[in-house]
Amino acid sequence: MGNILIVAEIQKGQLREATLELASFAQKVAGGSGREVHSLVAGKGIEALADEFSKKGGGTVHVVESENLEHHNAEAAITAIKAAIEASGADLVLISNTPSGWDVAPGVAASLDAGFVSECFAIEADGDGFSFHRRVFNGKLDANVVSTGGLVVASVQPGATTPFSETTDGSVSKLDVSFGDLKTRFVEVKQAEAKGVDLTKASIIVSGGRGVGAPEKFPEVIQPLADALGGAMGASRPVVDAGWLPHEYQVGSSGQVVQPKLYIAAGISGAIQHLVGMKTSNYIVAINKDPDAPIFEVADLGVVADLFDIVPALTAAVTAAKG
Amino acid sequence: MKIMVCLKQVPHQDARLDIDADGTWIKEDGIKFEINTYDTYALEEALAVKDAGDAEVVVVSIGPDRVTQALRTALGMGADRAIHVKDDEANGSDALGIAKILAAVGKEESPDLVYMGLMSDDGNFAAVAPMLAQLLGIPHTTAAIKIERANGSVTVDREIEGGASEVVELQVPCLIAVQSGLNQVRYASLKGIMAAKKKPLDVKSVSDLGLSGQVGAGAAKVKVAKIAPPVKGETAEILQGSTDEVVASLVNKIKELGLL
Repeated sequence: MGNILIVAEIQKGQLREATLELASFAQKVAGGSGREVHSLVAGKGIEALADEFSKKGGGTVHVVESENLEHHNAEAAITAIKAAIEASGADLVLISNTPSGWDVAPGVAASLDAGFVSECFAIEADGDGFSFHRRVFNGKLDANVVSTGGLVVASVQPGATTPFSETTDGSVSKLDVSFGDLKTRFVEVKQAEAKGVDLTKASIIVSGGRGVGAPEKFPEVIQPLADALGGAMGASRPVVDAGWLPHEYQVGSSGQVVQPKLYIAAGISGAIQHLVGMKTSNYIVAINKDPDAPIFEVADLGVVADLFDIVPALTAAVTAAKG
Repeated sequence: MKIMVCLKQVPHQDARLDIDADGTWIKEDGIKFEINTYDTYALEEALAVKDAGDAEVVVVSIGPDRVTQALRTALGMGADRAIHVKDDEANGSDALGIAKILAAVGKEESPDLVYMGLMSDDGNFAAVAPMLAQLLGIPHTTAAIKIERANGSVTVDREIEGGASEVVELQVPCLIAVQSGLNQVRYASLKGIMAAKKKPLDVKSVSDLGLSGQVGAGAAKVKVAKIAPPVKGETAEILQGSTDEVVASLVNKIKELGLL
């Protein structure tokens, strides 16, 4: 039985909240099974962060200090993580399922001929191995994935648990890693373009998804309801991918994360990356023909019906109510 | 220039999802299949490269007889050759097993570029692409939203949070796992579909690729023990009644929230 290795992620010179969530998972799994918690803090100029993490659930923190890791570099990161796995004696490696994490985690597993499970929201020790819980079919079904022993790399959904908040004893030790010639080079980060539509400021948002069916239905059906309510129109990712609306309308983890007073989701199934973008809205109404659509899990009020029956009628009723 | 595009055939996005008798996957009988949407963007990207100059596009997929249809569709869209790894021995492979099969094909093909989707619409593991890159010993990136090729290298914009992107430069040969919405995917023309019938479609077995005993359920390090509908929270109040009744309830709720 091996230890647990947390791979920390640094963003804007700080440990990400998602990293402290990994510490919560690690401490819980370790406590129940007698494993030790280790972690990797890798980057440039990160000794202070390593020290901080050793006191926030990071356990034995292995520090890799390198120019190659100043910015995200999947190739360099995989090398560093492999060194940390060896140094820590881990048989479970936890990585946050962020754009950096998903770029790196599978390659670590393949390189070590190990098991891999992604986007987990729960993990338990299970005999010699582990039991993981995640979603499949774009959030429609739950899956329990198991490993029966040997090294497993698992990526964890950000927000799946609360960040670790206790003060712990830990230690920091330097890990020397040689990188060789890298075939991957970080160039730059491009910030998001200024948006014509700032959904983060809207107090009411009416969003349409793939169920709206065609691009012209957005100005014909969805926009009128948004206008009648004095709100803004939004969209889920498939709508933007199809070119029906520009990216500035996209609500989700790779679009805008919104928290309006009222969020109406019409014809939106509720894939995880969309839910991440709107689930903290004050009040959520979901309209979808499919009673099993995952959107109903975050909705306060649900309507299982054809949005083309409900939305125009609602627009008329709201307009009438406003006189 | 050779581009290898890996495709997965998955249940259609709107297919009924009934749990099978084992409880470990969904019932496949009677549902429609399609090419994984993420992979269609990868295929389109490769075909656009082919349109612009001299490139051979080879498509690869793993699975039973029904996968032939997906490969024919890809050939109809413009791919030059298809490889179908069809072997029950591959059943139950985890992502690493799949990556090993694709790597064996990749080693035979020696492509300059490997394009595939970031994840599959069914499993959503997002694992095979980066694993394949590792096994081929080539650099990779994921969630590509823009790809620019130069001599000996490729510059890729990869999507990060909040609408921002990170630009990375990879030496060729390399693997790119594409994000959905990368481009607008073409339809196969009638002419293309007719021409596809004459294009090579090679069928290979696991042992042809030298992988006997290394893939499939027996070699898998992880497996799906159970799938089930999510336990529903009790929080959603589902409105019942006629359209008029439902709409009236919604208007009342919006008034209660002080928004009307």
